[in-house]
Amino acid sequence: MAEPLLVVESVNKSFGGLKAVNDVSFRMEQKEVLGLIGPNGAGKTTLLRLLTGILKPDSGSVKFKGKELVGRNIWNIVNLGVACTFQNMRPFRRLPIIANVMVSCLSPRSHGKGEWVKKVENKAMDALEFAGISDMALEKASVLSQGDLKRLEVARAIASDPELLLLDEPFGGLSPAETDLMAKSIRRLHKGGRFGRLHSEGPAMIIVEHKLQQLMKIVDRIIVLNFGTLLAEGTPDEVVNNPQVIEAYLGKGGD
Amino acid sequence: MGLVIFYVKKLFKIFRNEVLVLPSRVVVGLFFIVLLGLPLVTQDPYFIRIIILTSIFAIFAASWDLLSGFTGQMNFGHALFFGVGAYGSAMLNIHFNIPPWATIPMGAIVAVLAGLIVGIPCLRLKHTYLALTTLAFPIILLGIIIALPDISGGELGMTGLKRITESLLGNYYLHVGVFLVLAVIMWEITDSNTGIIFHAIREDELAVKASGINTVFYKLLAFCLSGFFAGIAGGLYAHYMRIAGPSTLGVDQSFTVVIYAIFGGAATIYGPIAAVFILFPLLEVFRLWPEYRMMLFAAVVLVILLYMPEGLIHWIRDKIEKECPRCKIRNIATRKTCRICTANLD
Repeated sequence: MAEPLLVVESVNKSFGGLKAVNDVSFRMEQKEVLGLIGPNGAGKTTLLRLLTGILKPDSGSVKFKGKELVGRNIWNIVNLGVACTFQNMRPFRRLPIIANVMVSCLSPRSHGKGEWVKKVENKAMDALEFAGISDMALEKASVLSQGDLKRLEVARAIASDPELLLLDEPFGGLSPAETDLMAKSIRRLHKGGRFGRLHSEGPAMIIVEHKLQQLMKIVDRIIVLNFGTLLAEGTPDEVVNNPQVIEAYLGKGGD
Repeated sequence: MGLVIFYVKKLFKIFRNEVLVLPSRVVVGLFFIVLLGLPLVTQDPYFIRIIILTSIFAIFAASWDLLSGFTGQMNFGHALFFGVGAYGSAMLNIHFNIPPWATIPMGAIVAVLAGLIVGIPCLRLKHTYLALTTLAFPIILLGIIIALPDISGGELGMTGLKRITESLLGNYYLHVGVFLVLAVIMWEITDSNTGIIFHAIREDELAVKASGINTVFYKLLAFCLSGFFAGIAGGLYAHYMRIAGPSTLGVDQSFTVVIYAIFGGAATIYGPIAAVFILFPLLEVFRLWPEYRMMLFAAVVLVILLYMPEGLIHWIRDKIEKECPRCKIRNIATRKTCRICTANLD
């Protein structure tokens, strides 16, 4: 059996008295798409931030392809092949959209790859084309709508050529039509292939999302968090029918 | 012969299509020509001296812009680099008798070290805290210099430095030449991929880190580059004025450079340079009314910033040039359609 892509072992993180992530362990296989769901404040975003090194866990270990991630800098983790998007989008507002993506393309991981593609602009343009906002490449990022900012976040993440992509609410604040489009893009990205000069192996993904209906169509497996602890794990069907999960989302039955 | 004519024609075509189409490029070209041709018109020592000092301070202001305007590391103690450059080259010149053409680059290297020394503790600080911390460094160094009069000359400063050259024209072309070369280098740095990363660090540092860029390296790089250019300005100043005094480290020195940069428009390089070339001679004009000199200066700066908060040069550039809404190429304001994509400019 192949080595698992990501192994998370009993990770803890607390903010003051609040245990945001409490003893969470799970593992991911290569090319797996993992959904991460849970009620508000369940610690989903915190868990993602622990994986990318933005926050340091109090204890526990995160291994990516056998390499320990805890204690590394954010940029080292990104250059190992873990890219993330932010829930509240963080574009470089006064820079053109293409420059936003070029920053990602300039990272050592992305810059070193591809012998015959040395033009950073071309690579950035292809990432934008994949995300579907290449027509606005020269506008300032501050003109983008909420949905397009989400697309920019995705473009920026895939430009660094990740093996594990962490998407934090990719459908948050999007209209139904935009959601469908984004879901399509994500499925296309997972299939892998060549998008212009951008070559994708089809990264594994962890997707944090509240729009379960859309999420269920994409993911292979779902993890449910509640109050920082792992509540359930399994295929979408198993999770939806799990009484504990229903209780966490809807509360106990009244009768 | 035909080949020569062909290339001359080609060169002229490039000149017409790339330079003459935009007023800002014409202005930059004229600026270079006027600056280099000025001694042909006048060789008044006072006038030459003002232009030399202006050039030196233009390097200084542009180096502040590289660090604070682009990378967003608010440095309110930029005089540190200037002072270290000045004192460094002065000490090497006086104590070790090294000729000035060597001491100025060496002083700049000392300023780079100073940039590292300031930059490393400042890496964790942001915004106001960074500004306050950097403000402290030149004051600390000033204290050290006054405490060690044997080495540093104390409050009187180090006098008796040698000039690089004694001739008027030599000095003029040396300083103006160094200024033009360094300005072009700084512009190239900010126009490159490194410049994009500097911009991005100013906008959102965490997002840059999450894009896989080692921000610590780039922030230190900005500190070092800025220190290097400011150090050269300091060294030139010390050797031209033949004194490296405590005033090079003064708080007012730090703040005038901020005023220059904000006045011209931060994060442009050409903005601060233009601002120095406007404000510094203007200060000399105001010597006609010596009592009101600083008040007039403050009034000019306030009025400009009140009506042009983006900076004077930004404002002027937006008036004389329009950006094509489709391809983002700049056009002269009188054009109806874009010169590249023929879109309507309105």
